[in-house]
Amino acid sequence: MPELFSAGFLSALLVIVLIDLVLAGDNALIIGLVARNLPKNTQRKVIFWGTFGAIAVRALMAALVVYILAVPGFMLAGGIALIWIARKLLMPAEAAGDSHGGAAAATSFAGALRTIVIADAVMGIDNVLAIGGAASGSLLLIVLGLAISVPIIVWGSHLVIRLVDRFPSVILLGGAVLAWTGYTMIVREPLLQPWLTAHPAARFIIAVLVFSASLAPWWSQRLSRQMQPLVVVLPALLLWLLAFEIVDPHLERMGGLLATETGAYLVEAVRWLGWLPLAAGFLWLQEQRPHRTVRG
Amino acid sequence: MLLVHRSRRSADAIRGVSPGGELFVASVVVAMLLLALGDAVDSTWLGEAGLEFALFDFGGELSLLGLHQWSLLQLLLAGAAFAGGICAVKAGFTRLFRPLRPAARRALDKVPIEFRQKSF
Repeated sequence: MPELFSAGFLSALLVIVLIDLVLAGDNALIIGLVARNLPKNTQRKVIFWGTFGAIAVRALMAALVVYILAVPGFMLAGGIALIWIARKLLMPAEAAGDSHGGAAAATSFAGALRTIVIADAVMGIDNVLAIGGAASGSLLLIVLGLAISVPIIVWGSHLVIRLVDRFPSVILLGGAVLAWTGYTMIVREPLLQPWLTAHPAARFIIAVLVFSASLAPWWSQRLSRQMQPLVVVLPALLLWLLAFEIVDPHLERMGGLLATETGAYLVEAVRWLGWLPLAAGFLWLQEQRPHRTVRG
Repeated sequence: MLLVHRSRRSADAIRGVSPGGELFVASVVVAMLLLALGDAVDSTWLGEAGLEFALFDFGGELSLLGLHQWSLLQLLLAGAAFAGGICAVKAGFTRLFRPLRPAARRALDKVPIEFRQKSF
């Protein structure tokens, strides 16, 4: 954990607040909907305790996520999940789909509180996973981040909407930070540590792969129609190179092909040029597709 | 539904983003990728290739190898500086090359040149 109020600590706090703001669900609207049929004085209590409950539930879930992420394999799975979350954030709202339905108005204080807390827990799973990964195991950072951002979201939801409306680049920055957190989680995976130490170049390949996959909805929009296949070809090429990095030690152990000089050259040729026919085949298929549509 | 998707512009942030904002985020992403490269580069290999001083060690913090210790705040500042630099260079080039651009066909500053055969 970084030292308290050091640049690293403040930076991690900034990451958590930014992730909270861009991944926040419609908590404020849910609270408003649930509390709309209650008497005025109960409404105020519901808003306060609903917010308090939301912070408590999220802190509890994030703490659980921190412990779960310590289990080997989960850090890698969490990192991959963050790639999907970043893509979902950057996709236009119609394409991403509305995953949260409306909430029915409650008639009692306990019923309202229960609805708010359950809705928040369901809507905050992606958020909790992201901040659990960004906090590097620090519960203090999680609680501080949530204590800063959840009240902003609940009481200042209009301000948040106005901010992102004025500066939509905040969303892109949120996507980039999510991709960064995903990359950090993948390279921190304990199961991968020995392999990553032996293959340091793989870190950079993983970084480009994570960023190209997470930010694909953004950069693919800037490509011309002819360049669109790059959205598939670039990650596929990086996966090809990664696969060779994984297979290489096994080939060496097996001897056989790599034992001779010719064999070693052949393997290197396949590694650096073998993807070309596959990419050409893919591009040919892409070219054929419109013709098929016209005929059909 | 995400709260930010309640905003019309940010629900389609990719198309609604300003060129300046996009350049800033792109610069931050480049800084993040450089950081990952600094993490991946083997310093002994660079030393053997004789590139350590020439390319990657401008002195402490600014070197590529020192980048992996950078936090998000530093990356944001680096991205802002990088984007500002690109904007300044672009503005300079625009000023430099504007006089070379031909004026529109019917613009006031267009010099009317006509080639007529004189009849004697």
